[in-house]
Amino acid sequence: MSIETTTKDLDLENLLKEIPSLIEKLREAREIYLTDAVLLGEIPAPTFGEEERIRLAVDRFRENGLDDPEIDEFGNASAIIPGSIGSSSILVMAHADSVFNAETRHVVNLGSDFMTGPGIADNAIGMAAVVGLPKLLDQLGIKLKDDLLLLINTKSLGRANLEGARGFLETKQRPIRAGICVEGAEQGRLSYSGLGALRGEISLVLPSNYDWNSFGASGAISHLTRLVNQVMEIPVPKEPKTKMTFGEIHSGSSFNTSPKSGLLRFEITSEGDEVIDEMEKQVNEICEQFSLETGTKVLLEVVARRSNCGIPFGHPLVKSTRRIMNEAGIVPKVDPSTGDLNVIIRAGHPGVTLGLTTAENLREQNETIHLEPLYPGMAQLITLLQAIDKGICES
Amino acid sequence: MSGNNQEWLDNNTFHHGEFWDILKLVEEKEKKGLSISLCIPTLNEEKTIGKEVLILRSELMERYPLVDEFAVIDSGSSDKTLEVARNFGADVYLASEILPEVGDKRGKGENLWKAIHQLKGDVICYVDADISNIHPRFVYGLVAPLIKREEVSYVKAFYDRPLNYSSGLRSSGGGRVTEILIRPLFSLFYPELTNIVQPLSGEYAARRRVLEKIPFPIGYGVETSHLLDLYEKFGIATFAQTDLDRRVHRNQTTNALGKMSFGILQTFFNRLHVQGKIDQIPDLETFYRRFEVEDGNYNQIIQEVIEEERPPMIEVESYFNRTSDN
Repeated sequence: MSIETTTKDLDLENLLKEIPSLIEKLREAREIYLTDAVLLGEIPAPTFGEEERIRLAVDRFRENGLDDPEIDEFGNASAIIPGSIGSSSILVMAHADSVFNAETRHVVNLGSDFMTGPGIADNAIGMAAVVGLPKLLDQLGIKLKDDLLLLINTKSLGRANLEGARGFLETKQRPIRAGICVEGAEQGRLSYSGLGALRGEISLVLPSNYDWNSFGASGAISHLTRLVNQVMEIPVPKEPKTKMTFGEIHSGSSFNTSPKSGLLRFEITSEGDEVIDEMEKQVNEICEQFSLETGTKVLLEVVARRSNCGIPFGHPLVKSTRRIMNEAGIVPKVDPSTGDLNVIIRAGHPGVTLGLTTAENLREQNETIHLEPLYPGMAQLITLLQAIDKGICES
Repeated sequence: MSGNNQEWLDNNTFHHGEFWDILKLVEEKEKKGLSISLCIPTLNEEKTIGKEVLILRSELMERYPLVDEFAVIDSGSSDKTLEVARNFGADVYLASEILPEVGDKRGKGENLWKAIHQLKGDVICYVDADISNIHPRFVYGLVAPLIKREEVSYVKAFYDRPLNYSSGLRSSGGGRVTEILIRPLFSLFYPELTNIVQPLSGEYAARRRVLEKIPFPIGYGVETSHLLDLYEKFGIATFAQTDLDRRVHRNQTTNALGKMSFGILQTFFNRLHVQGKIDQIPDLETFYRRFEVEDGNYNQIIQEVIEEERPPMIEVESYFNRTSDN
């Protein structure tokens, strides 16, 4: 064992010892991040409609003591906590967008040990943790050597193809030591790899001259159902691990009118990029063949795509994160990400995604987070930042 | 609209956006040596009280020290209101334990009245506990005119932008009782008070020196009586109002609003008589009567609604002694 390794181990041990008292301090300072979770969470922010929430994030960065928060051309809010040396940066990010549309009543309720409201777990509390970091670190007396690059990124979910995070990292040319994606839930989540994924939309339209009298003619729902059946015939390999999810289907408006169009949304995730490419080809062929055979117009549009990427399980960042979680009483659960972590790792930076607390009813209107697990969840984040800052997480 | 009315509307109607710079408000408050107390009256509000305490305390006491004192005054909740409020750092008092020598009456007005004794601020801001979209503007929007304008003593909240803003002209936005009871009554007897967009809103801030001089109905009539009594003593110039945008709260049934109107009318007629606007009134009934239909039968429902009043706080001996000691 080298002297450097021993020093890093000692540094980590020292940080781990502080976790119990850090949890208590974060419990006492909870007003800072719970308030922001309410204020940010009560502003609707569907993907591509995050502007108002982003404006508030910038205001909160400023109110928490940062001089020059900014909104970039991709709509992201970012700010920097200057480090004492500042020769490199640590990126901490949370996505601003939510699966709930603007018409959803965005009201957060707060009980003694819970918060409930649409998007409170995904990702109002995650954003609040990032936005509150300047004030929290100041109150905790933690001063980092690295600059802390804080990002509330847009366009992360659904059709958005991680455009916000991607745009930020492509244009913000800074030496980044490591990145942490903060998600509200589920606590214990440890992602250190980005899973290859393809999100596609198949639209089916009956042309205006569609011959309703010909053999086999039917409305869009019947056609779409047959098309789905054919797509389901595509073999899904077990190795590399692959999954196909049919997420949404839309068509029709009443009991007795044959609809003329329909839409299917699906996702393929796989640990093998070549599998995704092959399955995409097959879906495309099915669509073309179906279109010709039925006289309908069938189009596959790939709206989001990510390749597999990751850092090894044995990477010091992953190892340190696991040790920190264990010390905070959190059981790590390895879970590849299809989210923003993909962008960090593809950009060549080591990174992990963490979940802050336990949650119920995810992505439903009564989405709920528990407060008691949140304090160790916050402690894992801050301890990991300190560990990265001390160089403990570098290979 | 008369010139005076328009002038009052122009000068004394604000939008909370004018006061976004809370730090500046804090500086002005400190320069003028004012202290501000915030009171939330509660009765079974466990669903919304936690968030109100969290947001208002953390933003207006911890982040910006605009509020010097913050209390929840409770009428005897049977749910977890007290536990939740304490959990998030509020000072919680039972109305029955404040000024025990004057006894205990049940009603929101009782809590508001006893707050004058319990709290120390030169300004007291009252915010209802059932606001589900609570935001710091609900407080700073109301206390700001009192910090900035010495002649203003009482600031009322209103909601939903009734005036001609960029989004176009909109209706006056009062609730049902305001529009079909209060506004017609004000138009008949107190035309100047019709300038107050939402006379029944439960959020207002006032100087102690005026609050201690007026009686407090303990029930539905408290907001109305404040306006009538302060108008009688100080005129319209003592009032201001602030647009706080949207307020999301429980919707009340028409039956509940009928009972509320009955209580308000008692207060209103009593004021008309005391202020010499009508010669005499008979003894007013205290039973509110309405009907329910069940299986084709009409049943009369009778509920007693007595609008008891507390005297001006300055007339209460222990309060008077407290203030004369200072």
